[in-house]
Amino acid sequence: MYQRKRIELIIEKMAHKRAGRIFESCGMTGYTVLPALAGYGGGNRWSRDTDISASRDMVVIISIGDVARVTETMTQLEDLLGEHIGVVTVSDVEVLRPDRF
Amino acid sequence: MDVAISTLLSPIILFFALGMGAALLRSQMSVPEAFAKGLALYLMMAIGLKGGVEMSKNPLTVEVMLVLLAGVVLSFIVPAISYFFLRVTTKLDQTNAAATAAHYGSISIVTFVAATEAVRMSGLDSSGHMVAVAALMETPAIVTALFLANRGAKRETPVAGSERGELIREVALNASIVVLVGALIIGWIAGEEGTARVEPFFVGLFQGVLCLFLLDMGLSAGRGLRQGWRELSAATIGFGLYMPLVSAALAAIVVMMLGMDTGDGALLITLAASASYIAVPAAMRLALPKAKPSIYLTLSLGVTFPFNVTLGIPIYIYLAGLMSGAGG
Repeated sequence: MYQRKRIELIIEKMAHKRAGRIFESCGMTGYTVLPALAGYGGGNRWSRDTDISASRDMVVIISIGDVARVTETMTQLEDLLGEHIGVVTVSDVEVLRPDRF
Repeated sequence: MDVAISTLLSPIILFFALGMGAALLRSQMSVPEAFAKGLALYLMMAIGLKGGVEMSKNPLTVEVMLVLLAGVVLSFIVPAISYFFLRVTTKLDQTNAAATAAHYGSISIVTFVAATEAVRMSGLDSSGHMVAVAALMETPAIVTALFLANRGAKRETPVAGSERGELIREVALNASIVVLVGALIIGWIAGEEGTARVEPFFVGLFQGVLCLFLLDMGLSAGRGLRQGWRELSAATIGFGLYMPLVSAALAAIVVMMLGMDTGDGALLITLAASASYIAVPAAMRLALPKAKPSIYLTLSLGVTFPFNVTLGIPIYIYLAGLMSGAGG
């Protein structure tokens, strides 16, 4: 098993393409976007069936990479999250095939 | 008064009230998300086709062009007035006031559809080109709002990950604009004869689908209000109730100046008075992400939309009747 870093970004759906471009430009080899159902934050509850514009929907983006790429990605995500609603965490994970990340 | 009562007691409005009441009472009732989006697409296609067919019967006159232009001008002006009222009467900051103002300058296509039905039930006629007016009024408000929001506060560098043209794509090519304008053109090209084969689907089922959609809109409005009401001050809620009337008064003057008939006039007034909750919220998340959706979306969807579909539309029809008489 090999050590890598895992980014978990919860961000508003409208900004997920911006986040995706950051992952790609920083050399992350892949990411997965998952829909979020509902939540609470900033004093407000939200749920994905509240409005037809889907502008309050949130998604979760998961990506795994080496320390250098994850550090570069986090620098850019800091700028993105300065504008958009979201939360990002980085954790240590183990992977089977290191050449993929 | 008869128009008001028949509008309020129509199945469309009663289903809306059912949805809103159910959401406020925390019922688990819901319309599946994909189904609701399908209903919205159907309504846009139906209203676009109907407008296109009506337009194919009449030539594009100078009078029609003036109405189209008036719609665009109203959409540019209303956000500036909304912004002024928001800044003077509420404590919203520049960004939130501008984002909210964009919603009130743009239009609600569902309010427009409900008004079209109310106009029809009142025995009045409306023209197909009013659908084109609706489509044209969707986006100018966003331009005004961005100007108001960015005065002296524009970022020097774009947000990380943003792409040139993404906002224009979101605004000009959002699903509601593409389907509405596309169906309008298809209806215009195909004409009455060409669309006869799809009429049972788009005309026969329209009322029932509208009831289903308004049930979902009621649920959305109720849930939005329940979840976001804490963000709204009394002054902000007041804005959501009086601003449609201010916009309606402005549009009524245009109706009188252009000598529009009552049906078309009522629709123009309704468009000016309605607030967006589909196209603009999505655009605002990209253009002004620091603005709070819990303010602008709760206000347009939870306060102004219910006001317009219940009390507003009968007022606008009455107002259009007065102005048509004054102009004629």
